[in-house]
Amino acid sequence: MKTHLYFSVTPEALISSNLPPEKFGSYLAVGTQKRSRGQAVFFELDSDLVGDIISKDYIEKNCVPRPDGTPKRTLYLSIYRVLERVPLEALKSLYLTTDDGKVLKLDQSDFEYQKRESLYLYQELCPVTPRIASTLNPVDFVNFVCDSKNNISVPKLFCVQLDLGELANDPIAGTANDLPYSNIFHLRDCLAGLLQNSNKVTKTVVRFFNGDIQYRTCKNGFFIGDGEKCLFYPFPSKEELDDKYHSWWRSALIMGF
Amino acid sequence: MNNIFWLVPMASLLALSFALYFYRQVFREDEGTDIMKKIAHHVRLGAMAYLKQQYKVVGIFFIILTVMFAVLAYGFNLQNPWVPFAFLTGGLFSGIAGFLGMKTATMASARTANAARKSLNAGLRIAFRSGAVMGLVVVGLGLLDISVWFIVLTYFYPTGDTHNMMIITTTMLTFGMGASAQALFARVGGGIFTKAADVGADLVGKVEAGIPEDDPRNPATIADNVGDNVGDVAGMGADLYESYCGSILATAALGAAAFINSSEMQMKAVLAPMLIASIGIILSIIGIFMVKTKEGATQKNLMQSLEKGVNLSSIMIILFSLGLLYLLQIQNWLGIWGSLVVGLLVGIAIGKATEYFTSEEYAPTQKIASSAKTGPATVIISGLGMGMISTVVPVIAVAIGIILSYILAASGDMSNMSMGLYGIGIAAVGMLSTLGITLATDAYGPIADNAGGNAEMSGLGPEVRKRTDALDSLGNTTAATGKGFAIGSAALTALALMASYIEELKIGIDRLMQVSGNYLFPNGIEISTRAELMNLGLNDFMNYFQVHLMNPIVLIGMLIGSMMAFLFCGLTMNAVGRAAMKMVDEVRRQFREIQGILEGEAEPDYARCVEISTKSAQIEMITPSVLAIVIPIIVGLVFGVAGSLGLLVGGLSTGFVLAVFMSNSGGAWDNAKKYIESGHMGGKGSDAHKATVIGDTVGDPFKDTSGPSLNILIKLMTMVTIVMSGVTVAISLL
Repeated sequence: MKTHLYFSVTPEALISSNLPPEKFGSYLAVGTQKRSRGQAVFFELDSDLVGDIISKDYIEKNCVPRPDGTPKRTLYLSIYRVLERVPLEALKSLYLTTDDGKVLKLDQSDFEYQKRESLYLYQELCPVTPRIASTLNPVDFVNFVCDSKNNISVPKLFCVQLDLGELANDPIAGTANDLPYSNIFHLRDCLAGLLQNSNKVTKTVVRFFNGDIQYRTCKNGFFIGDGEKCLFYPFPSKEELDDKYHSWWRSALIMGF
Repeated sequence: MNNIFWLVPMASLLALSFALYFYRQVFREDEGTDIMKKIAHHVRLGAMAYLKQQYKVVGIFFIILTVMFAVLAYGFNLQNPWVPFAFLTGGLFSGIAGFLGMKTATMASARTANAARKSLNAGLRIAFRSGAVMGLVVVGLGLLDISVWFIVLTYFYPTGDTHNMMIITTTMLTFGMGASAQALFARVGGGIFTKAADVGADLVGKVEAGIPEDDPRNPATIADNVGDNVGDVAGMGADLYESYCGSILATAALGAAAFINSSEMQMKAVLAPMLIASIGIILSIIGIFMVKTKEGATQKNLMQSLEKGVNLSSIMIILFSLGLLYLLQIQNWLGIWGSLVVGLLVGIAIGKATEYFTSEEYAPTQKIASSAKTGPATVIISGLGMGMISTVVPVIAVAIGIILSYILAASGDMSNMSMGLYGIGIAAVGMLSTLGITLATDAYGPIADNAGGNAEMSGLGPEVRKRTDALDSLGNTTAATGKGFAIGSAALTALALMASYIEELKIGIDRLMQVSGNYLFPNGIEISTRAELMNLGLNDFMNYFQVHLMNPIVLIGMLIGSMMAFLFCGLTMNAVGRAAMKMVDEVRRQFREIQGILEGEAEPDYARCVEISTKSAQIEMITPSVLAIVIPIIVGLVFGVAGSLGLLVGGLSTGFVLAVFMSNSGGAWDNAKKYIESGHMGGKGSDAHKATVIGDTVGDPFKDTSGPSLNILIKLMTMVTIVMSGVTVAISLL
């Protein structure tokens, strides 16, 4: 049985498993023995490129099928400062799992600007989780947050760009009918503040993210970088999701309480 | 018998023939892929299992009531001797209509989804013609039952004698009791089933497990699909079957009373509602053939396609009924025709008002959606408030309809009560005259809904899903207006039935006088001859039975009638709550105990969920159903005619307004949620969306269980009172 290596982003963990990505995601989301639910976002890693952050012997010895022949679902290897230690080169595909265990695979791609906007909104997912409004485009934002010359920085950042609709260019008067963010007035204030103060490039909108990602608000895609290099995982358009990944998209649109 | 009468059985047979034709046409269509067939099979099995169980329970009730009627009729001579048989046929025909409608609807969903793979028009055609089977079976069997009874009774009571015609029409009226009882169980049981399944499926599936609707991993999803059929097809069909027959029969009885002095005119007045209904059948069939659309049709185009058929039938019934009444040369034919047009217009006004207050296109529902920005509490408050306000237009429409139809039929003479009340009956008949096609649009809704579910569960392509979504969305609109129409027609029918109650009292008193030789009214006046009795007008009866507002017995009856509407709602709402909890427990159990359900590797036990909903519905419907039958009997026995009339007035006025309020509140909450989901107030997943999900869940039993069940309550209480009139005039404590 093949052994896979995964980097779970929410929460941060390095996990070895006999399950292939789709089954692994489903397992993380809904489990097996009892009914549970919860999103999961994880990368598959190339074990040959992760360097010495794992012990291959330990994995070979412990990540083995159980006596009844069923696969070993999870072997936790690390739960602390994982992103910091995982080389970007080792990252393979990104997987987004819905509450009910449907998994969508996203592959790396080059990031091309479709249209430059005045304002952006990012949800940082790892290693910290504030929601940040910014005047920086995604790549510049990741580089900015990972820039050690700044007073506050992180060695690596994984984040997703969120849709701002008309607020991206007009935070005061733009309509926000289809933006599901809580306290939309505060978001408008933050965005307007950025436009008024050209010296400020980021503004914290929400200090700590404690909910699920609303996949329908993802714009462009997911970004992960270390200040020098930034990888991009494009998120399909709504039309493409509805046509090609309908089953996943339907589940992604359901938000429980 | 007048030769023109034969148009009535011919029209009923024509309706049934076209129902068979459409059924065969739909049946010939392919059900699609194996998985589509499998899903449809599950739904069909569940629906039939439900129906079988329901008919068992209803059968027991019918046996008990038939025996009771037989004892009253043959043992104590307090009841019309035909009542036990009429009661049975009314129930039987209504049951057959429900069975055939359900069978067609459950057969049609996969075929509609499969036809949608070819084109939108093909999908619309299958879904609508399947709905038409229900519509035509209801009107066909209704008129057939009326025809058969008319033929049988005119054999035993030869026409030409106006008193005989009174006996015939009042006897026929009692078969409505069978239809009422059947409708009660279909509506209450169906309503509890459908919402227990729906709420249960949503609470665990969507809210807890994050599973989308119509997902085969949800154990309650098949029960939810079955529920659409038992609630909106069988329940709605039985409800309107009862209104259809009740309005025709009550009008015939009122016509017989209005022309008591002329046997020729009396016959015409009795036949007029039947003939109008017969023409309505022919025009409905023509309208059904007009419903078609083109590929790539917008939602507006689809709605226009349905409206084309319905409007054409309505316009033609106005013209043809004018010709019919002219040819009949019935007294004041133009005024009576005016009453019929008023009935049609009231139906349209109520439908439009319902659409205005429940559609997301209009301000009321958008305001409820807007109130979601401040949480679920304000959604509930605004939905309740909006529902209450929404009662204004239907109540005023019915009030205007009553007064106009009364004045027109009575030629402006308010004291001519018998003609005025006949006009009200004709208005009800007018509203329901094109039921064949209007019920087709109602039954189309759940068929399209199930087709959408089948397409989702079968994983059909995006183009097909878009088509089934379009058909489903259209069905949601027709379902909302259909509810308004059902409530409005129930109110007018109940009023016509109530008016005909006096005629039943006359027959009951006449029967008593045959035994005792005289009859003593509560006001102390005694009569001893049939001539004296038949010469008594409506006002005389009101005076003799002391039916006036200063009589505390009338007020007590009114209060009990009002209370009944609330009690009935409370019981049915709680029933949904309890049944839904059982469903939630079962779905949770299956998720917990059946390994691999959420991974899609194991199939849930769908049948168990259907069984839970079925059993819960059967158990929970007993108490409200028994109360709806027993309370009018007790009120009659204790408070007599005055108390009974008070009960009916209280029940009708409160029940009608409460039904409109509940249906519209529920519909508005549902569409407020959809409005937000379409990208307003933050859209899906926003706090406002979550607030409206709560509103929608609260509104589910409002609009699909308690609200529609009130239609039956107000008609059934009237029917029970009518059927028990012989007992009421013989025995009453006060």
